[in-house]
Amino acid sequence: MKQVEDSEILEKFSAAKTRDEGFNLLLAKYQQKIYWHVRRLVIDHDDADDLVQDTFVKVWKNLDKFRSDAQLYTWIYRIATNECITFLNKKKQRNNTPLEEVSAELSETLIASSHFNGDKVQLKLQQAILTLPEKQRLIFNMKYYDDLKYEEISEITGTSVGALKASFHIAVKKIEAFMLNENINF
Amino acid sequence: MEDNLENNGFSVPENYFNTLNDAIDARIRAEKIKMLAATEGYTVPEGYFEKLQLQILDKTVKEKKPQAKVLRLWRSSLLKYASAACFFIVSAAGLYFYQDQQNSKNITHNDLATELLLYDIDEQVIIDHIEDHDLKARDPKHSNVELENYILNNYSQNDIASAF
Repeated sequence: MKQVEDSEILEKFSAAKTRDEGFNLLLAKYQQKIYWHVRRLVIDHDDADDLVQDTFVKVWKNLDKFRSDAQLYTWIYRIATNECITFLNKKKQRNNTPLEEVSAELSETLIASSHFNGDKVQLKLQQAILTLPEKQRLIFNMKYYDDLKYEEISEITGTSVGALKASFHIAVKKIEAFMLNENINF
Repeated sequence: MEDNLENNGFSVPENYFNTLNDAIDARIRAEKIKMLAATEGYTVPEGYFEKLQLQILDKTVKEKKPQAKVLRLWRSSLLKYASAACFFIVSAAGLYFYQDQQNSKNITHNDLATELLLYDIDEQVIIDHIEDHDLKARDPKHSNVELENYILNNYSQNDIASAF
């Protein structure tokens, strides 16, 4: 199925008569990508569901202000990422949880989740990713799973390309070490 | 010169070859991780993404906009009729005064025409006319001159003309 170009989506959205059609096309193109991006950050399906909906409502409300000097999908990713970071920060504040314990909480959520049917190795990989600091985890996910270019990740996170490359390199080293550690089993 | 020839005129970003090594190493490690666990293991409920799209559309495209409150200027039919009546009265009054003004203009015009005519009539003719028609003076004690002066001072030429 031929994917719709972002330019076509923006053109349809800009006209009152075709605005709804444009938004439908945007949803069809990006909702799954954004869902998985959010899900990998917050782990729980129901939390991800709420955040994805919030993200697209914000996209709907602000798309007319979108400047074409940025890519549409990096703009949407940025909104989704900020929603996730805000959510995780509120979780820390609500439970008065130190930063390192949030990852432990998310690990427990993963293990208890009814929407995770991976084997031991897959579970170990997800646990390995959860040991990364929040921003590093974000960078790792976008590079490893979404295969975004460093320049695109830089647009989303506001971090320099050089710093992103270094962060990703460190992240894969940590994960590989975790995976190869025979003392860690699930 | 030799470096330029070796690179064929191309250049690279500063420190590129140091970071290239790390970039290749990172890619290789990532490939090894993928070999250990090809998929993530996360799942979603059946039909989730179809439902998600509908839920988002309900919150965006299909959301009913609050209707603007309509304030009616004409709250009752009585006000409408009253306005119509006012308009009629003002129009009628305007028409009346317009016609009255036209009549006044006509009378003024007639007066002027009459006055012009009377300028051609000698005063003695006017006096003879009065005597011929046996017009009685109220006060016979007054002389003809006094009468004449009285008439000319108290009556307009139009009044005199209309007496004929």
